[in-house]
Amino acid sequence: MNEQISRLMDGEIDATEMDAVCATLGSDAAMATWNCYHAIGDALRSETGVTRNIGLAISRRLAQEPAIVAAPRRATAPASWAWAVAASVAAMTVVGWTAYSMVDAAPAGFAKVREAGTMSAAQMRPRTVVPADYLIAHQEYAPTNALSGVGPYLRDVAASTPVRPAVAE
Amino acid sequence: MQHAARRTRKLSGRLAPAVFVLALAASAARADDAMQWLARAAHAARELDYTGTIVYQIGPRVESSRITHLNDGGHEFSKLVNLDGPAREVVRRDGEVRCYYPDAKLMRIEPGTFRNVFPSLLPEQQQSLSRFYDFRLVGEDRVGGRPVQVVVFEPKDGLRYGHRFWSDAKTGLLLKARVVNEHGDGVEQFAFSDLVLNAPIDRSMVDPSWSSVPRDWQVLENAGGDVVPEETGWSVTRVPPGFTKIVEGYRKLRGRRERVAHLVFSDGLVSISVFIEPLRASSSPAGFLRQGGLNVYSLKLDEHLITVMGETPGATVRQIAHSVVHR
Repeated sequence: MNEQISRLMDGEIDATEMDAVCATLGSDAAMATWNCYHAIGDALRSETGVTRNIGLAISRRLAQEPAIVAAPRRATAPASWAWAVAASVAAMTVVGWTAYSMVDAAPAGFAKVREAGTMSAAQMRPRTVVPADYLIAHQEYAPTNALSGVGPYLRDVAASTPVRPAVAE
Repeated sequence: MQHAARRTRKLSGRLAPAVFVLALAASAARADDAMQWLARAAHAARELDYTGTIVYQIGPRVESSRITHLNDGGHEFSKLVNLDGPAREVVRRDGEVRCYYPDAKLMRIEPGTFRNVFPSLLPEQQQSLSRFYDFRLVGEDRVGGRPVQVVVFEPKDGLRYGHRFWSDAKTGLLLKARVVNEHGDGVEQFAFSDLVLNAPIDRSMVDPSWSSVPRDWQVLENAGGDVVPEETGWSVTRVPPGFTKIVEGYRKLRGRRERVAHLVFSDGLVSISVFIEPLRASSSPAGFLRQGGLNVYSLKLDEHLITVMGETPGATVRQIAHSVVHR
């Protein structure tokens, strides 16, 4: 059933199967699957308004169903998933970023975290801040910044972690 | 019947240009108002001497900072000190910004130039202001104990955020600003809780609290460098309506051997930057990130990392990111 729902969402279902699949959506279990798949899709497409609403229950289901997300692109190590669940609970705006980094790449930072094995979630979070050098370059051209003169720097002093330029190659 | 229809068509055909001209005049007037208002606020922020407390809200977080600003014979100095948590400071002198992070024993130096400022916008940007935002004077209010004028820039489509500004009735200085998302929720806001305008401010009040950088601190300098304007070969096929490309070129960013292509699009009120660099082992992960009213979206394309960031809804930066092509 799950596979049929997945194909329905992707528009890959046959017309002959359509009625049957739609009928199954009447059940709570199928509806939960439907909602969950949409939440995953939203997280991957980073539709933030929806991502924000991903709760613990869905995070758990995400953790149980890595194949849905990882299969189309690249296999993902379980450790990244554990981190994704932690991130979605701890910092909502980070969810989309993390989900993407898992499917699009094997980020160097994550590999190191696994080797070290002792870093806390708080220590890992700086990997997910806005790239500082880009931000500084962008701020030159943001017209509203010049209105107050301090706009971008308010973000700076309030940041939970100092914004650091990229480390040398 | 046919006649009547033809007549109506003829009449509307004659009227149309007149209506068009009227509409054009009306929108031009609004553009002037908006530009005048923006220019006055930007001018006040540069020229006035003031000190006050700013309450800054980003997402669910609220922080207070102390700002002191001095214009000494055309040279701008400002000092921003965080009042909550670690006593971080941002000190700006003309074109240079120094950020002190005592908690991290770190000092960062970066250029602090605003290059796309009111009123010196391109004509296309000025047109976008009136075509894609509804600029309205909402009324009067009080902020930080001072009477203010409230204005809104309400977006006419879902591709930009709404902006609500409270400006000092007497000087035009921006005393409060709020960015409103597509659901009508405030995503970022700053407001003065107290303000002394035209205060006697001397240079010592805008000096950093550290006369020299402590020896055990790390100093990071981000020269940034100017964009060297040139054709990069990269383009955006689906530029959201109202956004005009204002800059295209390469810039040298710290820690990178290769130059980074930088394209900037603006609708007169906000900007969207597109950065393109060859993929490196240490490249930031691709993905999406939101910080208050700023959205960032990265993806990988043909061994390049494309990062788009701007003060717009996520969908807008995403649309740009997905339509970047190499000509």
